[in-house]
Amino acid sequence: MKKNGNLCLGIESTAHTWSVGIVDFLGNVIGLVSDSYNPDKGGIHPALVREQHTSNFKKIIKQCLNEADCSIKDIDLVAFSQSPGLGPILKIGAQVARMLSQLLSIPLVGVNHCIAHIEIGRFQCKIDDPLTLYVSGGNTIVSAYESERYQIFGETLDIPIGNMIDSFARDAGLPHPGGPKIERLALKSSNYLELPYIVKGMDLSFSGLYSSAKRLLQSNKLNKEYFLEDIAYSLQETSFSMLTEVTERALAHTRKEEVLLTGGVAANKRLQEMIKKISEDHNSRFEVVPLRYAGDNGAMIAWTGILRFLSEGAHKISETKINPKQRMDNITIPWRD
Amino acid sequence: MSKSTIKIERLLHKGAEASLFFGHWFGKEAIFKQRIPKTYRIEQIDSQLRLSRTLNEARALIKVKTYGINVPQVFEIDVDSSTIIMKYVNGEKLKDVISDLDQVMRTRHFFQIGVFISRLHQNGHVHGDITTSNIIVTSNEDIFLIDFGLHEYSDTIEDKSMDLHLFKRVLISSHGKYFDECFNSFLNGYRSEYLKNSSNQYNPIIQNIKVIESRGRYIKQVDRK
Repeated sequence: MKKNGNLCLGIESTAHTWSVGIVDFLGNVIGLVSDSYNPDKGGIHPALVREQHTSNFKKIIKQCLNEADCSIKDIDLVAFSQSPGLGPILKIGAQVARMLSQLLSIPLVGVNHCIAHIEIGRFQCKIDDPLTLYVSGGNTIVSAYESERYQIFGETLDIPIGNMIDSFARDAGLPHPGGPKIERLALKSSNYLELPYIVKGMDLSFSGLYSSAKRLLQSNKLNKEYFLEDIAYSLQETSFSMLTEVTERALAHTRKEEVLLTGGVAANKRLQEMIKKISEDHNSRFEVVPLRYAGDNGAMIAWTGILRFLSEGAHKISETKINPKQRMDNITIPWRD
Repeated sequence: MSKSTIKIERLLHKGAEASLFFGHWFGKEAIFKQRIPKTYRIEQIDSQLRLSRTLNEARALIKVKTYGINVPQVFEIDVDSSTIIMKYVNGEKLKDVISDLDQVMRTRHFFQIGVFISRLHQNGHVHGDITTSNIIVTSNEDIFLIDFGLHEYSDTIEDKSMDLHLFKRVLISSHGKYFDECFNSFLNGYRSEYLKNSSNQYNPIIQNIKVIESRGRYIKQVDRK
């Protein structure tokens, strides 16, 4: 195949998804293949996920190279998700990336997963300087760029929004992934059951909301006075109102002219509607990351790796240690401004 | 009074959560703080939230007045429109007058603010949003604390320390020139009020500011305000 400039292979490996993306240095995604661990029951068991990723990683890389119609020798740069995520799973991505870098003698770049979610959104939606609401199974963050960093204005104080919805879905006997099923159920109801609404300044708390919803589920009033769809509806309305309130507060504070909704939960239509509403109220442009790039994916890692490589160069092997807890506001962003 | 004894006259300020109006209440100058309905959330959640926040704020204002802290007196709470009607405090925002004050006056004011915040904290309250826009200096040179919208009941070192930390950040970012003298006077006032009750509880609270600052979240963060 004829190469369209340099190519970066990005590896996403922070949680249940092992994903490989091949992106050229202009940002065109020419290959993206993902493999997700789907538990029969329960949530993400790190050891089982690791097992699946370790046995599948080669196959997925090959499939991605096929999709991109290129050979591994055409790759000029390797990027991987270095932080944050589940330790045992981050390790596989890091090891595979180091191996490729050394076998092919090409540079290696570690990328922060949360920053990658924002960067792919900025690029795909063609926006410059958004206030970002990043909502997924592992993160709930309101962020905007300021003084060389993606500053965090609001975040969850306990569990992430996606985790909360998935856990509730699991308790209700709905198989993984629970988010879309809860969304569909919620459409059938307009009977609001009161649930705790916890906003502290710009931060959020979902654990009490989860416990209360679970209690409604376990009560013997279920299917008599109210139904599962009523709880699903109330859970969504409460948690999304909380997210929207905090986002609006951050928007009023930062006066950004663009709002970006990203992460797995960004696919939810009701949440989109709410965030769109406040964006319009503040005369800001509203964008949602295209579905293909909303969840965890290798393309966002590759693209962010390219940005970092072009501005600061590659990482040494000794700098590629994984960091499961790293906050994105600890990292400077030299490719902006 | 003609027509009506309660009259909303003009909009003073429109915030993200509430609008402030000036008017008269039975002949007295009054502020009407009205929480605005939010159409993105369903009616049940919205009306419940506005009601509970209005009541919380009004209760806090009434309560903290009894500790000898200058706050606007609450005249009436209108549940239907989630509005607090309170006494109009005639004065200037500290933010707007800080640079016109001489050093003696600045020191005196910040000492007094420290005393008030100390009383608040010793009685298990945190303000939640101490800024120079939320402090009024009257023509008699009295200090008033306003906007208890983010008030919370708390007796933890962390929450109280956070109150001081947020104030410190505002001072650095908006009034950097006077930061040292202002914050020092503030802390002197804060300490003195604890010492009056022979308590050294202020120590861990003030020390914890450094811990908060060392967290990633606040490194090199620049405030607007």
